[in-house]
Amino acid sequence: MSAYFTIQHTIMDIIYKLYEMTAIGNIIASPEILIMYALGFLLLYLGIVKKYEPLLLVPIAFGVLLANFPMGQMGVVPADLIKIDEHTHMNLFDIAHNYGIMNYLYYALIKTGILPPLIFMGVGAMTDFGPMLRNLKLSLFGGAAQLGIFAVLIIAMLFGFTPKEAASLAIIGGADGPTAIFTTIKLAPHLLGPIAIAAYSYMALVPVIIPLIVKLTCNEKELKINMKEQDKLFPPKYQIKNIRAVKIAFPIILGTVIIVLVPSSAPLLGMLLFGNLVKEIGTDTQRLTVAATDYIMNPATIFLGLTVGATMTSEVFLDPQTIMIIVGGFFAFAISVAGGIYAVKLTNLFSKKKINPLIGATGLSAVPMASRVANEISTKYDSKNHVLQYCMSSNVSGVIGSAVAAGVLISFLG
Amino acid sequence: MDANLSLSLLLMVVGMTTVFITLFSVVIIGNLIIRVVNKYFPEEVKKAVSTAITSSTIEKNKMAAIIAAIDIVTAGKGKIIQVEKK
Repeated sequence: MSAYFTIQHTIMDIIYKLYEMTAIGNIIASPEILIMYALGFLLLYLGIVKKYEPLLLVPIAFGVLLANFPMGQMGVVPADLIKIDEHTHMNLFDIAHNYGIMNYLYYALIKTGILPPLIFMGVGAMTDFGPMLRNLKLSLFGGAAQLGIFAVLIIAMLFGFTPKEAASLAIIGGADGPTAIFTTIKLAPHLLGPIAIAAYSYMALVPVIIPLIVKLTCNEKELKINMKEQDKLFPPKYQIKNIRAVKIAFPIILGTVIIVLVPSSAPLLGMLLFGNLVKEIGTDTQRLTVAATDYIMNPATIFLGLTVGATMTSEVFLDPQTIMIIVGGFFAFAISVAGGIYAVKLTNLFSKKKINPLIGATGLSAVPMASRVANEISTKYDSKNHVLQYCMSSNVSGVIGSAVAAGVLISFLG
Repeated sequence: MDANLSLSLLLMVVGMTTVFITLFSVVIIGNLIIRVVNKYFPEEVKKAVSTAITSSTIEKNKMAAIIAAIDIVTAGKGKIIQVEKK
Protein backbone atom coordinates (compact mmCIF):
# COMPACT_ATOMS: atom_id res chain seq x y z
CA MET A 1 0.00 0.00 0.00
CA SER A 2 2.77 2.38 0.94
CA ALA A 3 4.63 1.51 -2.28
CA TYR A 4 1.45 2.34 -4.21
CA PHE A 5 1.26 5.74 -2.50
CA THR A 6 4.96 6.37 -3.11
CA ILE A 7 4.53 5.67 -6.84
CA GLN A 8 1.38 7.83 -6.94
CA HIS A 9 3.23 10.62 -5.15
CA THR A 10 6.16 10.38 -7.55
CA ILE A 11 3.85 10.49 -10.56
CA MET A 12 2.03 13.51 -9.16
CA ASP A 13 5.38 15.11 -8.45
CA ILE A 14 6.49 14.57 -12.04
CA ILE A 15 3.19 15.92 -13.40
CA TYR A 16 3.47 18.97 -11.16
CA LYS A 17 7.05 19.59 -12.26
CA LEU A 18 5.97 19.26 -15.89
CA TYR A 19 3.14 21.69 -15.20
CA GLU A 20 5.57 24.09 -13.54
CA MET A 21 7.90 23.82 -16.51
CA THR A 22 5.15 24.99 -18.88
CA ALA A 23 3.66 28.47 -18.93
CA ILE A 24 0.11 27.20 -18.36
CA GLY A 25 0.16 28.20 -14.69
CA ASN A 26 1.29 31.72 -15.55
CA ILE A 27 -1.47 32.09 -18.12
CA ILE A 28 -4.06 30.95 -15.57
CA ALA A 29 -2.63 33.39 -13.05
CA SER A 30 -2.65 36.28 -15.57
CA PRO A 31 -5.55 35.63 -17.97
CA GLU A 32 -5.15 39.10 -19.52
CA ILE A 33 -2.31 37.53 -21.52
CA LEU A 34 -5.04 35.80 -23.56
CA ILE A 35 -6.19 39.22 -24.81
CA MET A 36 -2.69 39.81 -26.13
CA TYR A 37 -2.76 36.43 -27.90
CA ALA A 38 -6.09 37.40 -29.45
CA LEU A 39 -4.55 40.69 -30.60
CA GLY A 40 -1.54 38.83 -32.02
CA PHE A 41 -3.79 36.41 -33.91
CA LEU A 42 -5.95 39.26 -35.19
CA LEU A 43 -2.90 41.12 -36.52
CA LEU A 44 -1.61 37.92 -38.11
CA TYR A 45 -5.02 37.42 -39.74
CA LEU A 46 -5.00 41.00 -41.07
CA GLY A 47 -1.47 40.61 -42.37
CA ILE A 48 -1.72 37.13 -43.87
CA VAL A 49 -5.34 36.83 -45.02
CA LYS A 50 -6.33 40.47 -45.59
CA LYS A 51 -2.82 41.38 -46.77
CA TYR A 52 -2.80 44.63 -44.77
CA GLU A 53 0.86 45.73 -44.70
CA PRO A 54 2.00 42.08 -44.27
CA LEU A 55 5.70 42.96 -44.32
CA LEU A 56 5.26 44.78 -41.03
CA LEU A 57 2.09 43.47 -39.45
CA VAL A 58 3.29 39.84 -39.55
CA PRO A 59 6.57 40.48 -37.66
CA ILE A 60 4.82 42.89 -35.26
CA ALA A 61 2.07 40.34 -34.58
CA PHE A 62 4.56 37.55 -34.00
CA GLY A 63 6.56 39.86 -31.74
CA VAL A 64 3.37 40.42 -29.70
CA LEU A 65 2.94 36.67 -29.30
CA LEU A 66 6.59 36.10 -28.39
CA ALA A 67 6.53 38.89 -25.81
CA ASN A 68 3.51 37.44 -24.07
CA PHE A 69 4.65 33.83 -23.70
CA PRO A 70 5.40 33.76 -19.98
CA MET A 71 8.97 32.80 -19.08
CA GLY A 72 9.97 33.11 -22.73
CA GLN A 73 12.11 36.19 -21.92
CA MET A 74 11.07 37.77 -25.20
CA GLY A 75 9.13 40.75 -23.89
CA VAL A 76 10.89 44.10 -23.84
CA VAL A 77 11.44 45.34 -20.30
CA PRO A 78 11.08 49.02 -19.27
CA ALA A 79 14.18 51.20 -19.57
CA ASP A 80 14.25 51.64 -15.77
CA LEU A 81 15.27 48.01 -15.35
CA ILE A 82 18.41 48.41 -17.42
CA LYS A 83 19.47 51.57 -15.62
CA ILE A 84 22.37 51.20 -13.21
CA ASP A 85 22.27 54.79 -12.00
CA GLU A 86 21.16 58.18 -13.35
CA HIS A 87 23.76 58.26 -16.13
CA THR A 88 24.74 54.65 -16.64
CA HIS A 89 22.94 51.75 -18.29
CA MET A 90 23.75 48.06 -18.50
CA ASN A 91 25.90 47.04 -21.42
CA LEU A 92 24.36 44.95 -24.18
CA PHE A 93 25.96 41.73 -22.93
CA ASP A 94 24.34 42.17 -19.51
CA ILE A 95 21.00 43.06 -21.11
CA ALA A 96 21.10 39.87 -23.20
CA HIS A 97 22.19 37.82 -20.19
CA ASN A 98 19.57 39.20 -17.79
CA TYR A 99 16.59 39.85 -20.05
CA GLY A 100 17.09 37.76 -23.21
CA ILE A 101 17.90 38.39 -26.85
CA MET A 102 14.79 40.42 -27.68
CA ASN A 103 15.86 43.07 -25.20
CA TYR A 104 19.36 42.96 -26.68
CA LEU A 105 17.88 43.64 -30.14
CA TYR A 106 15.51 46.31 -28.83
CA TYR A 107 18.10 48.28 -26.91
CA ALA A 108 20.76 47.91 -29.61
CA LEU A 109 18.60 48.64 -32.67
CA ILE A 110 15.44 50.44 -31.60
CA LYS A 111 16.39 52.45 -28.56
CA THR A 112 19.40 53.82 -30.40
CA GLY A 113 17.11 54.85 -33.29
CA ILE A 114 19.17 53.01 -35.95
CA LEU A 115 16.44 51.11 -37.76
CA PRO A 116 14.01 53.83 -38.93
CA PRO A 117 16.75 55.77 -40.80
CA LEU A 118 17.98 52.53 -42.38
CA ILE A 119 14.44 51.80 -43.53
CA PHE A 120 14.16 55.35 -44.84
CA MET A 121 17.32 54.75 -46.88
CA GLY A 122 15.60 51.76 -48.49
CA VAL A 123 12.42 53.77 -49.02
CA GLY A 124 14.49 56.48 -50.70
CA ALA A 125 16.09 53.92 -52.98
CA MET A 126 12.61 52.81 -54.04
CA THR A 127 11.15 56.32 -54.42
CA ASP A 128 10.83 58.09 -57.74
CA PHE A 129 10.83 61.87 -57.42
CA GLY A 130 10.00 62.13 -61.14
CA PRO A 131 6.23 62.73 -60.73
CA MET A 132 6.93 65.35 -58.07
CA LEU A 133 9.50 67.14 -60.24
CA ARG A 134 7.03 67.23 -63.13
CA ASN A 135 4.33 68.75 -60.89
CA LEU A 136 6.30 70.69 -58.32
CA LYS A 137 3.52 73.02 -57.21
CA LEU A 138 1.33 70.07 -56.23
CA SER A 139 3.94 69.04 -53.70
CA LEU A 140 2.77 71.90 -51.46
CA PHE A 141 -0.35 69.89 -50.65
CA GLY A 142 1.94 67.43 -48.90
CA GLY A 143 2.39 70.21 -46.35
CA ALA A 144 -1.30 70.88 -45.84
CA ALA A 145 -1.81 67.21 -45.10
CA GLN A 146 0.38 67.46 -42.01
CA LEU A 147 -2.39 69.44 -40.32
CA GLY A 148 -3.67 66.30 -38.58
CA ILE A 149 -0.39 65.95 -36.71
CA PHE A 150 -0.59 69.36 -35.09
CA ALA A 151 -4.36 69.36 -34.58
CA VAL A 152 -4.24 66.06 -32.69
CA LEU A 153 -1.22 67.27 -30.75
CA ILE A 154 -3.44 69.99 -29.24
CA ILE A 155 -6.35 67.58 -28.63
CA ALA A 156 -4.11 64.95 -27.01
CA MET A 157 -2.62 67.50 -24.64
CA LEU A 158 -6.12 68.61 -23.66
CA PHE A 159 -6.86 64.95 -22.86
CA GLY A 160 -3.99 64.80 -20.39
CA PHE A 161 -1.13 63.41 -22.48
CA THR A 162 2.23 64.98 -21.74
CA PRO A 163 3.65 67.08 -24.61
CA LYS A 164 6.09 64.29 -25.56
CA GLU A 165 3.37 61.63 -25.51
CA ALA A 166 0.98 63.87 -27.44
CA ALA A 167 3.60 64.53 -30.13
CA SER A 168 4.30 60.80 -30.48
CA LEU A 169 0.58 60.08 -30.82
CA ALA A 170 0.00 62.95 -33.24
CA ILE A 171 2.76 61.91 -35.62
CA ILE A 172 0.54 58.96 -36.62
CA GLY A 173 -1.22 61.60 -38.76
CA GLY A 174 1.87 61.72 -40.96
CA ALA A 175 0.96 58.19 -42.11
CA ASP A 176 4.58 57.18 -42.12
CA GLY A 177 5.53 54.15 -40.01
CA PRO A 178 9.30 54.72 -39.66
CA THR A 179 8.73 58.43 -38.88
CA ALA A 180 6.17 57.56 -36.20
CA ILE A 181 8.51 54.99 -34.67
CA PHE A 182 11.53 57.30 -34.81
CA THR A 183 9.63 60.16 -33.13
CA THR A 184 8.23 57.87 -30.43
CA ILE A 185 11.64 56.37 -29.67
CA LYS A 186 12.96 59.89 -29.14
CA LEU A 187 10.01 61.30 -27.19
CA ALA A 188 7.89 58.60 -25.53
CA PRO A 189 9.45 55.14 -25.93
CA HIS A 190 6.98 53.61 -23.45
CA LEU A 191 4.21 54.17 -26.05
CA LEU A 192 6.13 52.62 -28.93
CA GLY A 193 4.02 49.46 -29.24
CA PRO A 194 0.53 50.98 -29.43
CA ILE A 195 1.72 53.87 -31.63
CA ALA A 196 3.43 51.54 -34.11
CA ILE A 197 0.35 49.32 -34.23
CA ALA A 198 -1.96 52.31 -34.76
CA ALA A 199 0.31 53.85 -37.42
CA TYR A 200 0.65 50.68 -39.47
CA SER A 201 -2.99 49.67 -39.01
CA TYR A 202 -4.24 53.00 -40.31
CA MET A 203 -1.72 52.91 -43.16
CA ALA A 204 -3.15 49.51 -44.03
CA LEU A 205 -6.62 51.03 -43.84
CA VAL A 206 -5.83 53.81 -46.34
CA PRO A 207 -8.18 52.17 -48.91
CA VAL A 208 -10.99 52.61 -46.39
CA ILE A 209 -10.11 55.92 -44.73
CA ILE A 210 -9.37 58.06 -47.82
CA PRO A 211 -12.63 57.15 -49.67
CA LEU A 212 -14.54 57.83 -46.43
CA ILE A 213 -13.07 61.32 -45.95
CA VAL A 214 -13.36 62.09 -49.68
CA LYS A 215 -17.03 61.12 -49.58
CA LEU A 216 -17.61 63.43 -46.62
CA THR A 217 -15.76 66.41 -48.07
CA CYS A 218 -15.92 66.37 -51.89
CA ASN A 219 -18.66 66.54 -54.49
CA GLU A 220 -18.83 64.77 -57.86
CA LYS A 221 -17.94 67.88 -59.86
CA GLU A 222 -14.71 68.33 -57.91
CA LEU A 223 -13.74 64.68 -58.26
CA LYS A 224 -14.26 64.88 -62.03
CA ILE A 225 -11.64 67.62 -62.48
CA ASN A 226 -9.35 66.21 -65.15
CA MET A 227 -5.75 67.16 -64.48
CA LYS A 228 -4.52 66.32 -67.99
CA GLU A 229 -7.10 68.64 -69.51
CA GLN A 230 -6.12 71.32 -67.01
CA ASP A 231 -2.49 70.83 -68.07
CA LYS A 232 -3.49 71.36 -71.71
CA LEU A 233 -5.37 74.54 -70.81
CA PHE A 234 -2.60 75.82 -68.53
CA PRO A 235 0.65 74.10 -69.55
CA PRO A 236 3.54 74.01 -67.05
CA LYS A 237 6.25 76.66 -67.41
CA TYR A 238 9.12 74.26 -67.91
CA GLN A 239 9.48 70.93 -69.63
CA ILE A 240 12.28 68.84 -68.17
CA LYS A 241 14.84 68.21 -70.90
CA ASN A 242 17.11 65.87 -68.98
CA ILE A 243 15.22 64.12 -66.22
CA ARG A 244 18.17 61.95 -65.16
CA ALA A 245 20.40 64.94 -64.42
CA VAL A 246 17.58 66.65 -62.53
CA LYS A 247 16.87 63.51 -60.49
CA ILE A 248 20.56 63.21 -59.50
CA ALA A 249 20.96 66.87 -58.56
CA PHE A 250 17.66 67.03 -56.66
CA PRO A 251 18.47 64.85 -53.59
CA ILE A 252 21.92 66.42 -53.23
CA ILE A 253 20.77 70.04 -53.27
CA LEU A 254 17.46 69.44 -51.49
CA GLY A 255 19.19 67.46 -48.73
CA THR A 256 21.71 70.22 -48.19
CA VAL A 257 19.06 72.94 -47.93
CA ILE A 258 16.47 71.09 -45.83
CA ILE A 259 18.94 69.71 -43.34
CA VAL A 260 20.34 73.19 -42.82
CA LEU A 261 16.79 74.43 -42.21
CA VAL A 262 15.69 71.54 -39.96
CA PRO A 263 18.80 69.71 -38.70
CA SER A 264 16.81 67.28 -36.56
CA SER A 265 15.23 65.85 -39.72
CA ALA A 266 18.69 64.73 -40.91
CA PRO A 267 18.54 61.09 -39.73
CA LEU A 268 15.34 60.45 -41.68
CA LEU A 269 15.53 62.86 -44.63
CA GLY A 270 19.29 62.53 -45.03
CA MET A 271 19.02 58.76 -45.36
CA LEU A 272 15.95 59.00 -47.61
CA LEU A 273 17.72 61.35 -50.00
CA PHE A 274 20.95 59.33 -49.90
CA GLY A 275 19.01 56.19 -50.80
CA ASN A 276 17.33 58.07 -53.63
CA LEU A 277 20.63 59.43 -54.91
CA VAL A 278 22.28 56.01 -55.24
CA LYS A 279 19.19 54.78 -57.06
CA GLU A 280 19.23 57.68 -59.52
CA ILE A 281 22.95 57.40 -60.26
CA GLY A 282 22.16 54.05 -61.81
CA THR A 283 24.56 51.25 -62.68
CA ASP A 284 27.62 52.82 -61.08
CA THR A 285 26.01 52.52 -57.63
CA GLN A 286 23.61 49.71 -58.37
CA ARG A 287 25.16 47.47 -55.71
CA LEU A 288 24.45 50.13 -53.09
CA THR A 289 20.86 50.42 -54.28
CA VAL A 290 20.39 46.67 -54.04
CA ALA A 291 21.96 46.69 -50.57
CA ALA A 292 19.67 49.52 -49.43
CA THR A 293 16.47 48.03 -50.80
CA ASP A 294 17.14 44.35 -50.10
CA TYR A 295 20.05 43.38 -47.86
CA ILE A 296 19.65 46.23 -45.37
CA MET A 297 15.97 47.07 -45.55
CA ASN A 298 14.69 43.50 -45.27
CA PRO A 299 16.52 42.52 -42.06
CA ALA A 300 15.83 46.03 -40.68
CA THR A 301 12.11 45.47 -41.32
CA ILE A 302 12.19 42.08 -39.60
CA PHE A 303 13.98 43.39 -36.51
CA LEU A 304 11.84 46.52 -36.38
CA GLY A 305 8.62 44.53 -36.57
CA LEU A 306 9.60 41.87 -34.05
CA THR A 307 11.04 44.24 -31.47
CA VAL A 308 8.19 46.76 -31.75
CA GLY A 309 5.76 43.86 -31.30
CA ALA A 310 7.77 42.65 -28.32
CA THR A 311 7.23 45.97 -26.53
CA MET A 312 3.54 45.10 -26.29
CA THR A 313 3.42 43.06 -23.15
CA SER A 314 0.01 42.85 -21.48
CA GLU A 315 1.13 45.21 -18.68
CA VAL A 316 2.05 47.92 -21.18
CA PHE A 317 -0.67 47.47 -23.80
CA LEU A 318 -3.77 46.91 -21.69
CA ASP A 319 -4.00 50.48 -20.56
CA PRO A 320 -6.68 53.14 -21.20
CA GLN A 321 -3.98 55.22 -22.90
CA THR A 322 -3.75 52.60 -25.66
CA ILE A 323 -7.41 53.08 -26.58
CA MET A 324 -6.88 56.84 -26.64
CA ILE A 325 -3.90 56.35 -28.94
CA ILE A 326 -5.94 54.20 -31.32
CA VAL A 327 -8.78 56.77 -31.41
CA GLY A 328 -6.41 59.77 -31.55
CA GLY A 329 -4.42 58.14 -34.33
CA PHE A 330 -7.56 57.79 -36.45
CA PHE A 331 -8.40 61.47 -36.00
CA ALA A 332 -4.83 62.49 -36.84
CA PHE A 333 -5.07 60.45 -40.03
CA ALA A 334 -8.52 61.72 -40.98
CA ILE A 335 -7.69 65.39 -40.29
CA SER A 336 -4.53 65.07 -42.40
CA VAL A 337 -6.55 63.76 -45.37
CA ALA A 338 -9.17 66.48 -44.90
CA GLY A 339 -6.45 69.14 -44.48
CA GLY A 340 -5.00 68.27 -47.88
CA ILE A 341 -8.45 68.27 -49.51
CA TYR A 342 -9.42 71.67 -48.09
CA ALA A 343 -6.06 73.14 -49.10
CA VAL A 344 -6.88 72.16 -52.71
CA LYS A 345 -10.37 73.61 -52.43
CA LEU A 346 -8.91 76.87 -51.11
CA THR A 347 -6.42 76.99 -53.98
CA ASN A 348 -9.20 76.36 -56.51
CA LEU A 349 -11.03 79.45 -55.24
CA PHE A 350 -8.16 81.68 -56.34
CA SER A 351 -6.67 79.78 -59.27
CA LYS A 352 -7.84 79.48 -62.87
CA LYS A 353 -6.20 76.08 -63.15
CA LYS A 354 -8.41 73.75 -61.14
CA ILE A 355 -6.94 70.88 -59.14
CA ASN A 356 -8.64 67.62 -58.29
CA PRO A 357 -9.04 67.50 -54.46
CA LEU A 358 -7.85 63.90 -54.47
CA ILE A 359 -4.37 65.34 -54.92
CA GLY A 360 -4.73 66.97 -51.52
CA ALA A 361 -6.05 63.76 -49.99
CA THR A 362 -2.81 61.98 -50.89
CA GLY A 363 -0.65 64.58 -49.17
CA LEU A 364 -0.15 62.24 -46.26
CA SER A 365 2.65 59.73 -46.80
CA ALA A 366 1.52 56.08 -47.28
CA VAL A 367 3.30 55.94 -50.66
CA PRO A 368 2.13 54.72 -53.14
CA MET A 369 -1.02 53.18 -51.71
CA ALA A 370 -2.72 56.54 -51.11
CA SER A 371 -2.15 57.55 -54.75
CA ARG A 372 -3.47 54.25 -56.05
CA VAL A 373 -6.60 54.61 -53.93
CA ALA A 374 -7.11 58.19 -55.16
CA ASN A 375 -6.72 57.04 -58.75
CA GLU A 376 -9.35 54.36 -58.20
CA ILE A 377 -11.76 56.98 -56.88
CA SER A 378 -11.18 59.37 -59.80
CA THR A 379 -11.59 56.65 -62.43
CA LYS A 380 -14.83 55.61 -60.76
CA TYR A 381 -16.29 59.01 -61.68
CA ASP A 382 -14.55 59.25 -65.05
CA SER A 383 -12.78 56.20 -66.46
CA LYS A 384 -10.36 58.42 -68.43
CA ASN A 385 -9.39 60.62 -65.50
CA HIS A 386 -6.13 59.10 -64.21
CA VAL A 387 -4.69 61.22 -61.41
CA LEU A 388 -2.02 58.77 -60.19
CA GLN A 389 1.02 60.73 -61.41
CA TYR A 390 -0.33 63.98 -59.97
CA CYS A 391 -1.17 62.36 -56.63
CA MET A 392 2.33 60.91 -56.44
CA SER A 393 3.65 64.48 -56.29
CA SER A 394 1.83 65.36 -53.07
CA ASN A 395 2.22 61.80 -51.83
CA VAL A 396 6.02 61.85 -52.06
CA SER A 397 6.23 65.39 -50.68
CA GLY A 398 4.10 64.13 -47.78
CA VAL A 399 7.03 61.88 -46.80
CA ILE A 400 9.28 64.95 -46.68
CA GLY A 401 6.59 66.95 -44.86
CA SER A 402 6.03 64.36 -42.13
CA ALA A 403 9.78 63.90 -41.60
CA VAL A 404 10.14 67.67 -41.20
CA ALA A 405 7.17 67.79 -38.81
CA ALA A 406 8.81 65.02 -36.79
CA GLY A 407 12.05 66.98 -36.80
CA VAL A 408 10.28 70.06 -35.42
CA LEU A 409 8.60 68.04 -32.66
CA ILE A 410 11.86 66.35 -31.68
CA SER A 411 13.73 69.68 -31.68
CA PHE A 412 11.20 71.34 -29.40
CA LEU A 413 10.34 68.48 -27.08
CA GLY A 414 13.26 66.05 -27.25
CA MET B 1 -3.16 73.23 -18.79
CA ASP B 2 -2.81 76.76 -20.18
CA ALA B 3 0.93 76.30 -20.54
CA ASN B 4 0.33 73.03 -22.39
CA LEU B 5 -2.22 74.65 -24.67
CA SER B 6 0.05 77.53 -25.55
CA LEU B 7 2.92 75.08 -26.14
CA SER B 8 0.79 72.99 -28.48
CA LEU B 9 -0.40 76.08 -30.37
CA LEU B 10 3.18 77.27 -30.66
CA LEU B 11 4.20 73.86 -32.00
CA MET B 12 1.37 73.99 -34.52
CA VAL B 13 2.37 77.41 -35.82
CA VAL B 14 6.10 76.64 -35.90
CA GLY B 15 5.56 73.12 -37.26
CA MET B 16 3.22 74.02 -40.10
CA THR B 17 5.33 77.06 -41.01
CA THR B 18 8.49 74.94 -41.14
CA VAL B 19 6.77 72.25 -43.22
CA PHE B 20 5.56 74.86 -45.73
CA ILE B 21 8.93 76.65 -45.84
CA THR B 22 10.54 73.28 -46.54
CA LEU B 23 8.08 72.39 -49.29
CA PHE B 24 8.38 75.87 -50.83
CA SER B 25 12.12 75.19 -50.84
CA VAL B 26 11.40 71.91 -52.62
CA VAL B 27 9.47 73.82 -55.30
CA ILE B 28 12.10 76.55 -55.67
CA ILE B 29 15.04 74.13 -55.67
CA GLY B 30 13.26 71.81 -58.10
CA ASN B 31 12.49 74.66 -60.52
CA LEU B 32 16.03 75.99 -60.22
CA ILE B 33 17.57 72.61 -60.97
CA ILE B 34 15.24 72.11 -63.94
CA ARG B 35 16.14 75.53 -65.38
CA VAL B 36 19.88 75.01 -64.91
CA VAL B 37 19.76 71.51 -66.37
CA ASN B 38 17.58 72.66 -69.28
CA LYS B 39 20.06 75.44 -70.03
CA TYR B 40 23.38 73.67 -69.57
CA PHE B 41 22.66 69.93 -69.86
CA PRO B 42 19.56 69.79 -72.05
CA GLU B 43 19.64 66.31 -73.56
CA GLU B 44 21.56 63.22 -72.80
CA VAL B 45 23.50 62.27 -75.92
CA LYS B 46 22.33 58.82 -76.81
CA LYS B 47 25.01 56.53 -78.13
CA ALA B 48 24.34 55.54 -81.68
CA VAL B 49 23.68 51.89 -82.06
CA SER B 50 25.96 50.21 -84.50
CA THR B 51 24.16 49.35 -87.68
CA ALA B 52 26.22 46.21 -87.94
CA ILE B 53 24.25 44.50 -85.24
CA THR B 54 20.88 44.90 -86.90
CA SER B 55 21.45 41.65 -88.62
CA SER B 56 18.63 39.82 -90.23
CA THR B 57 18.96 37.00 -87.69
CA ILE B 58 17.39 39.14 -84.95
CA GLU B 59 13.85 40.36 -85.22
CA LYS B 60 13.41 44.12 -85.12
CA ASN B 61 11.17 44.14 -82.07
CA LYS B 62 13.58 41.91 -80.13
CA MET B 63 16.46 44.18 -81.09
CA ALA B 64 14.51 47.22 -79.92
CA ALA B 65 13.86 45.51 -76.58
CA ILE B 66 17.57 44.67 -76.16
CA ILE B 67 18.59 48.24 -77.00
CA ALA B 68 16.03 49.66 -74.57
CA ALA B 69 17.15 47.29 -71.78
CA ILE B 70 20.83 48.12 -72.26
CA ASP B 71 19.96 51.81 -72.34
CA ILE B 72 18.11 51.61 -69.03
CA VAL B 73 20.58 49.37 -67.23
CA THR B 74 23.65 51.38 -68.31
CA ALA B 75 21.83 54.73 -68.06
CA GLY B 76 22.56 55.52 -71.70
CA LYS B 77 26.27 54.79 -71.48
CA GLY B 78 26.17 51.29 -72.90
CA LYS B 79 26.79 50.37 -76.48
CA ILE B 80 25.86 47.11 -78.14
CA ILE B 81 28.75 45.88 -80.23
CA GLN B 82 27.51 42.49 -81.19
CA VAL B 83 24.60 40.17 -80.51
CA GLU B 84 25.20 36.49 -81.00
CA LYS B 85 22.80 33.58 -80.87
CA LYS B 86 24.02 30.35 -79.30
